[in-house]
Amino acid sequence: MKDDRIVARREAARLEEPAERARELAERLGLRPYPVNYWVVDYDEMNELIAYDGFQTRYPHWRWGMKYDRQRKQDAFGMGKAFEIVNNDNPCHAFLQESNSLADQKAVITHVEAHADFFRNNEWFGRFAGDDEEPDAAAMLERHAETIAGYMDDPETDRGEVERFIDAALCLEDTIDQHRALAAERGGETAEEFADVDIDERLDRLGLSSEVRDQVFDDEWVEAQEGREHLAAPRPDVLAYLREHGERYDDEEGKATEREPWMDEVLELLRREAYYFAPQKLTKVMNEGWAAYWESLMMAEEGFAGTDEFLTYADHQSRVLGSPGLNPYKLGKELWEYVENAANRREVVDRLLRVRGVSWRNFHDTVDFDTVREALAPDPALEEVRSDTLDRFDPDDPRVDADGLERARAGEIDADRYPWAVLSYEGLCERHFSLAKPAHRGFLERVGRSELEQAARYMFDDEVYASVEEALADVDYGAGWARMREVRESHNDVTFIDEFLTREFVVEGNYFTYEYSRATDDYRVASTDPDDVKRKLLLRFTNFGKPSIAVYDGNFDNRGELLLGHRYNGVALDLAKAESTLERVFELWGRPVNLATIVTEYDDHELEVARRRGREPDGEEVGVRLRYDGDGVEHHELDAELEARIGAAEVDYDTKPDDWLA
Amino acid sequence: MGLREDLERFREVGEQRRPDLTEFIREGDLSGGDGDIRIPVKMVDLPGFEYSQRDMGGVGQGQGGQPQPGQPVDVPGDDGDDGDGDGDGDEPGEGEGEHGYYEMDPSEFAEELDDQLGLDLEPKGKQVVEEVEGDFTELTRAGPNSTLDFEQLFKQGLKRKLATDFDEEYVREACRVAGADARDVFDFCRGENVLVSLAWIDDAMGDVPDDERDRWASFDEMAENVERTPINQRIRRDGLKQVPFRREDERYRHPEVEEKRQKNVVVVNIRDVSGSMRKRKRELVERVFTPLDWYLTGKYDEATFHYVAHDAEAWEVERGEFFGIRSGGGTRISSAYELAAEILAEYPWSEWNRYVFAAGDSENSSNDTTENVVPLMRSIDANLHAYVETQPGGNTINATHAEEVESALTDLDNVAVTRVGGPEDVTGAIYDILSTEDGS
Repeated sequence: MKDDRIVARREAARLEEPAERARELAERLGLRPYPVNYWVVDYDEMNELIAYDGFQTRYPHWRWGMKYDRQRKQDAFGMGKAFEIVNNDNPCHAFLQESNSLADQKAVITHVEAHADFFRNNEWFGRFAGDDEEPDAAAMLERHAETIAGYMDDPETDRGEVERFIDAALCLEDTIDQHRALAAERGGETAEEFADVDIDERLDRLGLSSEVRDQVFDDEWVEAQEGREHLAAPRPDVLAYLREHGERYDDEEGKATEREPWMDEVLELLRREAYYFAPQKLTKVMNEGWAAYWESLMMAEEGFAGTDEFLTYADHQSRVLGSPGLNPYKLGKELWEYVENAANRREVVDRLLRVRGVSWRNFHDTVDFDTVREALAPDPALEEVRSDTLDRFDPDDPRVDADGLERARAGEIDADRYPWAVLSYEGLCERHFSLAKPAHRGFLERVGRSELEQAARYMFDDEVYASVEEALADVDYGAGWARMREVRESHNDVTFIDEFLTREFVVEGNYFTYEYSRATDDYRVASTDPDDVKRKLLLRFTNFGKPSIAVYDGNFDNRGELLLGHRYNGVALDLAKAESTLERVFELWGRPVNLATIVTEYDDHELEVARRRGREPDGEEVGVRLRYDGDGVEHHELDAELEARIGAAEVDYDTKPDDWLA
Repeated sequence: MGLREDLERFREVGEQRRPDLTEFIREGDLSGGDGDIRIPVKMVDLPGFEYSQRDMGGVGQGQGGQPQPGQPVDVPGDDGDDGDGDGDGDEPGEGEGEHGYYEMDPSEFAEELDDQLGLDLEPKGKQVVEEVEGDFTELTRAGPNSTLDFEQLFKQGLKRKLATDFDEEYVREACRVAGADARDVFDFCRGENVLVSLAWIDDAMGDVPDDERDRWASFDEMAENVERTPINQRIRRDGLKQVPFRREDERYRHPEVEEKRQKNVVVVNIRDVSGSMRKRKRELVERVFTPLDWYLTGKYDEATFHYVAHDAEAWEVERGEFFGIRSGGGTRISSAYELAAEILAEYPWSEWNRYVFAAGDSENSSNDTTENVVPLMRSIDANLHAYVETQPGGNTINATHAEEVESALTDLDNVAVTRVGGPEDVTGAIYDILSTEDGS
């Protein structure tokens, strides 16, 4: 970046202190972020970085131009101004827009620190590189860019051909096995491959001219000979399969031939990038929510926004969280708050059930929640950390950071601006105990009987405490944060939403599902039932919100054709897009490609009856096999056995009520 | 920088892959806005295996309360017809509707349309002279200080100084001629072309010491012995001293008024919003009118649009509402033409190209067409009057407006009547309308 510019330099100097303090605070709060390098960039550079997914160099491709164009226009219309972008690397690189106000910059810095923590500690990110490797992303992407640009500039290869090949591979960038580590996928099934040396390859070794070869060993013969692999289990990493077994269609010879080496390499590079970016797509809600949670805690509750910046920050936050529809920041943040509250409640309930005379049956009758709330409120001393209250603290108190206290007393730390510097992690846990916050008042009381029963079931020493006060004195204020860190380590969006999306969230947010009505030819609200909303939401996050496609056979029909299967979950494919995607797959396979899927068909009579009675028509699910052979797409009937293999009967994402149009 | 190239390449790819224009007019999303025409280029982005949006449904958030099942929802980005847009305020989730747009400006659009429909409409007729500010080369006597032409002021001052300056020493010597009084000196000086005033001589005479009063016997003697110093020498010797700036010399620079010929167009779009105009008909009107608006915007330098909705009464509306309005009520098409005439009064026929486009399902109250509309159409001067009959599913018996207009106005060559039954007729109708003028 051009760090020689004066505005950027001045801005960078101004942000040095906040960045350092944010790091200290993040660590004090129990986060373990990657180191972050902050860069101040101007508007145009920002849009470029966004187009390149947060990096400075990517391989040449028109798609980045499209993203850039879109971003620029969005920005110009005042929608979706980008404050920052941060990439997953060690160290992380965060880019801040120089036009941000100081309050924005501080918010963004705290936000970025939380992202950096997430990148480092979430296992899905760890999978890309393996345990002991660093992501080394910027360097990797730059190498890829050089390699691909090299092929494009190479006079031996046609630039247009390289671009077309990249296009084809990008169409499949989401058909990878994102739940497996890249490394594991690479190591697999080598033994199998050696046994199955390709017959074309053996023929090639004979050194015959292609005319002679074609005469003697014609296609039919080759196909008959080929004991090509029939897959035992479907392979979800379609890109890997195509890289290993795919060929290209040679226009001149009119048949599949071996790929050029550059093709193999490009395919592998793009697949690697797909694996690198997959975790970000898998954890969007969690990651943004995590960042929004810690940003809000640091900025608002720890006064990281100065009193004069508070309003600007509140405005910034409401713009981010308040955009209508389902927004990952808001959804994520609320889910994280639920995780925190639930864990804290569990901790408090656990203590209370150990009080003599309190059982899960009489819990709501015997426990006085007002008393509990008072007892749980943080020590007032911890709430009022100021330069004039420093005398109240004892350096030996575990909640106090003795070193920080001493420096604050000596005037080296401004306790009014950075009160947290005087406290230890333990002190901060108590200071921010969620159940004591006004926003979460009543959460404890709302504990259900089943949850109480569950907590009590395996509790043997249930008469430890004589009184509620005694029990509450033992409460571990860190329970919520500890649980959040655990969840942050192992979950992805699907498991996160599945486990923590509550009925309350759906009802309070007025969320609903909508479905398309054939009868009225428009979309209608279908259900407000929280379970339905959750199911619909999961559909959007499962497998990147895309249908799951796997390789079912690499030698379909004994003709060396590719068979892809859409694992049907009741939601049909967009057939037009599927057909044009299939055309691209052909370019990576070289022979005809097939796609098995299931569509719902409506017969005319049924449509007519439904129309007259004003109800939704009942359709019939029919298996279909699309086949593209280089010329056009044909629809074939699908073999019953295959249909059974791709259908998943136990899931249902349809949330239409029976009589919803009545 | 690599991204520049990527952007260029995107433009090229977008150009190749954007949907065919006529197809876009028939089926595309025309709600793109008033300024730039936004042609969705979902086609540009790469395909992928995706769910059918309709089958997938989604999650939305109610604004102000839990919505009821069965209530319609607007879902952006759906390819087909989406809801009737009841505007219940419910927002569907983000994520959908994120399309790349390939943007065309109206003149590009008009050019393409000419190309595709084989039209060749040259904007013609009135040309209004627009005064445009040119360079600051004109001068006026008043203006802001910053435009004061100081060089000119100084020159004028200098000229004035040169003109009024005279050789003081020479005049003083003249005062020393024996026996001469002020009047004699003055006459002498004037004779010598020295521009001195009598008052000045009076003062100077007073200053001459008595013993010098008759240094010279006569003016001739003095003139012979005293040499006049030319002005340039005097300035060189004494310096400029004061330049007499005068207010009347002040000149202010002023932009030159350039006359630019500009082609202006005013379009009145009229639509029947009565109860019989159902959603499909409304959509067809939008499909015909919107491209016409764009086309004319692209063809003319300046385009102004008015939108008139009518049932039995007519009123003017904003473009945003125009295609969506529905009212109850009957139909009296003449009400709209009355209002159109009123609106057009502000756009003199001598200066403006005028277009009046009306659309409806041809239903009108009895006799209104022949008695009122036809005479009105005759009386309103316009490049083109068009009536677009939207009648999906065939004619109804009392829908005769189009026919009556057509037969009553055969003598005029600026009237186009066209019928649209479905999206497939839209481009044909646009062609009919535009070629009517083209051919006239």
